[in-house]
Amino acid sequence: MKLFAAGKKWNKYFVAGLIMTGLAVLLGVLGLFWTPYSTTAMSAAERFAAPSLRHWFGTDNFGRDIFSRVMQGMSTTILISAAVVLISGAAGVLLGALTGYFGGVLDEAVMRVTDAVNGFPSILLALVMISILGNGRQNLILSLGIVFVPSYVRIVRGEYLRLRDADYIKRARLMGVGRFRILFVHILPNILPVFGVSVMIGLNNAILAESGMSYLGIGVQAPDASLGNMLSDAQGYLQAAPWYALAPGLVIVWIVLGFSLFGEGIRRQME
Amino acid sequence: MIKIENLSVAFDGPEVVKNVSLELKDGEILGVVGESGSGKSVTALTLMGLVAESARVTSGKIYFDDTLLLEAGKPRDKALYRKFQGDRMSMVFQEPMTSLNPTQRVGKQVDEVLRLHTQLDAAERKKAVLNAFASVGLKEAETVYSSYAHQLSGGMRQRVMIAMAVILEPRLLVADEPTTALDVTVQNQIISLLQDINRKQHNAMLFITHDLNLARRICHRIAVMKDGCVVEQGETEQIFNQPAQEYTRRLIEAVPSRLKKRKSVQLSSEQEKDIVPVVQVRDLSVFYRDAGNSLFGRKRRHCVVKNVDFELYPGESLGLVGESGCGKTTLSKAILGINREIEGQVLHNTLRPQMIFQDPYSSLNPAKTVGWQLQEPLRARGAIDGSQEMTKADMEEAAYDMLRRVGMEEKYFHRRPSQLSGGQRQRVSIAQALITHPGFIVADEPVSALDVTIQAQIMELMRRLQQEMKLSYLFISHDINVVYHMCDRIMVMKDGRIIETGRTEEIFGAPREEYTRLLLAASQDRNKD
Amino acid sequence: MRYLGKKLITLIMTLFLVSAAAFLAFQIIPGDVVTSILGTEATPEREEQLREELGLNYPPVVRYFHWIADVLRGDLGVSYRYSKNMNEMMPVTELIGDKLPVTLWLAALSLLLIMAVSIPLGVLWAKSKSRFADMLLGVSTQAAMAVPAFFLGILVTYFFGIVLKLFAPGGYVSYKKDFWGFLGYLLFPALSIAIPKIAMTARFLRNAMLTEMNADYVRTAYGKGCSRRRVMYGHVLRNAMIPVITFLGMIIAEIVAGSIVIEQVFGLPGIGRLLISSVSTRDLPVVEILILYITFVVIFVYFLIDILYRVIDPRISEK
Repeated sequence: MKLFAAGKKWNKYFVAGLIMTGLAVLLGVLGLFWTPYSTTAMSAAERFAAPSLRHWFGTDNFGRDIFSRVMQGMSTTILISAAVVLISGAAGVLLGALTGYFGGVLDEAVMRVTDAVNGFPSILLALVMISILGNGRQNLILSLGIVFVPSYVRIVRGEYLRLRDADYIKRARLMGVGRFRILFVHILPNILPVFGVSVMIGLNNAILAESGMSYLGIGVQAPDASLGNMLSDAQGYLQAAPWYALAPGLVIVWIVLGFSLFGEGIRRQME
Repeated sequence: MIKIENLSVAFDGPEVVKNVSLELKDGEILGVVGESGSGKSVTALTLMGLVAESARVTSGKIYFDDTLLLEAGKPRDKALYRKFQGDRMSMVFQEPMTSLNPTQRVGKQVDEVLRLHTQLDAAERKKAVLNAFASVGLKEAETVYSSYAHQLSGGMRQRVMIAMAVILEPRLLVADEPTTALDVTVQNQIISLLQDINRKQHNAMLFITHDLNLARRICHRIAVMKDGCVVEQGETEQIFNQPAQEYTRRLIEAVPSRLKKRKSVQLSSEQEKDIVPVVQVRDLSVFYRDAGNSLFGRKRRHCVVKNVDFELYPGESLGLVGESGCGKTTLSKAILGINREIEGQVLHNTLRPQMIFQDPYSSLNPAKTVGWQLQEPLRARGAIDGSQEMTKADMEEAAYDMLRRVGMEEKYFHRRPSQLSGGQRQRVSIAQALITHPGFIVADEPVSALDVTIQAQIMELMRRLQQEMKLSYLFISHDINVVYHMCDRIMVMKDGRIIETGRTEEIFGAPREEYTRLLLAASQDRNKD
Repeated sequence: MRYLGKKLITLIMTLFLVSAAAFLAFQIIPGDVVTSILGTEATPEREEQLREELGLNYPPVVRYFHWIADVLRGDLGVSYRYSKNMNEMMPVTELIGDKLPVTLWLAALSLLLIMAVSIPLGVLWAKSKSRFADMLLGVSTQAAMAVPAFFLGILVTYFFGIVLKLFAPGGYVSYKKDFWGFLGYLLFPALSIAIPKIAMTARFLRNAMLTEMNADYVRTAYGKGCSRRRVMYGHVLRNAMIPVITFLGMIIAEIVAGSIVIEQVFGLPGIGRLLISSVSTRDLPVVEILILYITFVVIFVYFLIDILYRVIDPRISEK
């Protein structure tokens, strides 16, 4: 059960995931404060410069440095995804714990909704939410946050349902331990590894959803750079500047792959 | 004649079977006994050619008559083995439910043996399968033929497995704990069936078990295994009466056998009848609600425990025996207030009775240290009545003290359950249950998941603590022999009712009910005949 | 049979609830439809007239029942955005009519690709004893799952379209004009949807098979003298396919989601693209109908999967 028991070797998934996500997060955080070039300064002379030592990822149709814009896009994407996971994860744990442990009418109601929502493509639900709430960064976070709650509820609820009848929990009840202490002191530490894995998956889903929606033009809006809307701009210049599309696209793949390796690493580390 | 010569098997690490040599003659039942991890199953699976691919045979040979089946250093000849498997040698496993393919009708699964090894056409095969079903005592063979495993009872499934194994009258039958997953009365029937088959088909049988009583009843010869080695082998009675090895002696000693004298605790006697009972149960019935589709169908209430009456006196241990599904656990939960769907009365005269469970692996919280878990009951008690406010240091001291009393060193205080063995976990469970001095403990099969030698230690511990701390036990077990050694009085339960209650000597000496007699006979050490 | 009835009732109830939720949710959207159609310059009389025409003067609940009754009669309402000509509004039916086949063909082609590739791949992977193949497949499927659909679409466009010139990006041919040309063009977007799902399904099937291969009944089968081949195809595969079927059911919902994005990438005139443009222009009647439609498809697929599941897994059909 323990993630870092003494003498346990770190598996390669874990290490690879840690390095990949670590680098991505580092660049993203750095991108909040500093980029090599301005992300908005245009230069007609440097349109579509191929990748070089000066411009690692080349320049775009306005002569902007793509690497700088990718850094900005990474911070946008990572920040939005982290906020989404924070909202949906916290709500998911609370709802999942209460419904899984206590059952009853609340459970029934929450499960109906969760089942219905889980069956749907998340991007479709987010689309509906956005069309109700309107465009904008906060609305994007809110809609994705709400859309992903059920996936956590399902996992957390399942774990609570399983552990509710574990012998050690029965015994805790017999000892007279209070309900909320059982919920959050006795059971919660036991589901953290599983929850950790689902947070990694959730981060990925959030990243994919955010960049997908920004690509479709209903997420982060220009002139703010996001990996998704950069791709949508770049698509028009595939012939002239393929690197323009490759850079943000591969960065998304990099981040997503990193998180899934990290999640897989946690899962294997538990065994 | 089947011969295993100097067999050693290793997986990734060290050898788990070391230099094992065994011989089996036609018509002979050879018992291989030992505790879990002794290498008995690996030996059998290697013999059958069914051991996992990662296993390496590091030394030895296996002969089937004159055929060399397996030799160290050479890869397993799978084509050769396939000719023998199912035809000349076959195996019956412990878990009939999982050993049958869940999505294939059981008739088809037996049929497959015939398809593989005979030239019979479909109609002949079906007839042969039905005959085989009839011969292993399955009534309505046709219905069984077209059933899926989950539609049959445990006993029927095991009969199907046996039919599958013996349909071609193999020379060698390997039975790996074939009755461990079954109820005692069913166990008895399956054992008789295997003995019948052994007599009729005159095949050699390798019988693997952890249950020494059972081995004594049916085996002609016995091999005792420990840590991958055969420590001793010989004629059954000779092994039991004059064990040559210290380990064998310890093993036999540890078995709760009725041939041995009871160490009676004797706290409650007839004169003490007027003391206040620890628990009084009056006309208690317990119900179970269907957890079906609550939106549509209405929940139905089944009565699982019917009109139970008894009381438990201070210092007494009361045994509750019966087969699985008879309502033992449901009753115990109702007594402790975990199950609230009850009618009737339960009166407690102790504070906060506690429970000890069967599975040492799930009765401790994997995320918390031993010390934390021992103190939790004290914290919980403090939070509720407040009267016995303890300081942190007091709690810690109490926890250390309790740890010592259950015979564990202080260094375990900071360990987590995953770092403890099964026996140690059960000790911690007991310590945790007793730390608030509850007076009354419900023990639900507390030693059933443990190896015999550990079992004996835990029983000894429970008896000692009972005297030291003036405890009353409600001791639930399916194992009559364990109850015999642990309890002063016994209740026999069947289909939710207590059908017989009496002092241990009375129940064992002169059972009134037919069912009790059946239970007793099923767990006999030796056949009467 | 009773089970089927129960399931049907649940299905209808879910549809009813989703349609009501979708309809009412759009009622709370700020902004006036009439103004957005006519612009701010229109006369109050014209606005009132349009309000009357669109039935906007009733309370929401009444309007919902009007709407659902119309939908059941086959009248899906009119688009706020598109019009046939100056005086005639565009019925949603017509708007959707010629876009539906594009999306359906895209989904069908993707599903076909997924099943045709992932099932053999998963089986071979589970059977393979080569450590190298195992690692290669492990890494490549993991990577394939990390590629977002739209980026994959762009990559496919770049490699197959621009570099290899196997198709002309943006050169969509209508199915009415040239059906095979249409399918040929559709192959590439379908591939973009399918690749990550193939990776997922193959992994899932492989894991399911490995789990089954460790089951006790497999040992029993070997004990009978079955060959590895016989154990694989006679026992393991069927049992491993049971969870895979549920998995494929969930994949179908994701194919629908994938097509929304992929249609945009490849410029396909399907309902996904219509949905996006209707969302951004707030063409509510169209959005509502599309949501209802997609909901219906998804729920119906789950319904079918559920039935199929019961047919092939005897353990459930009992209860």
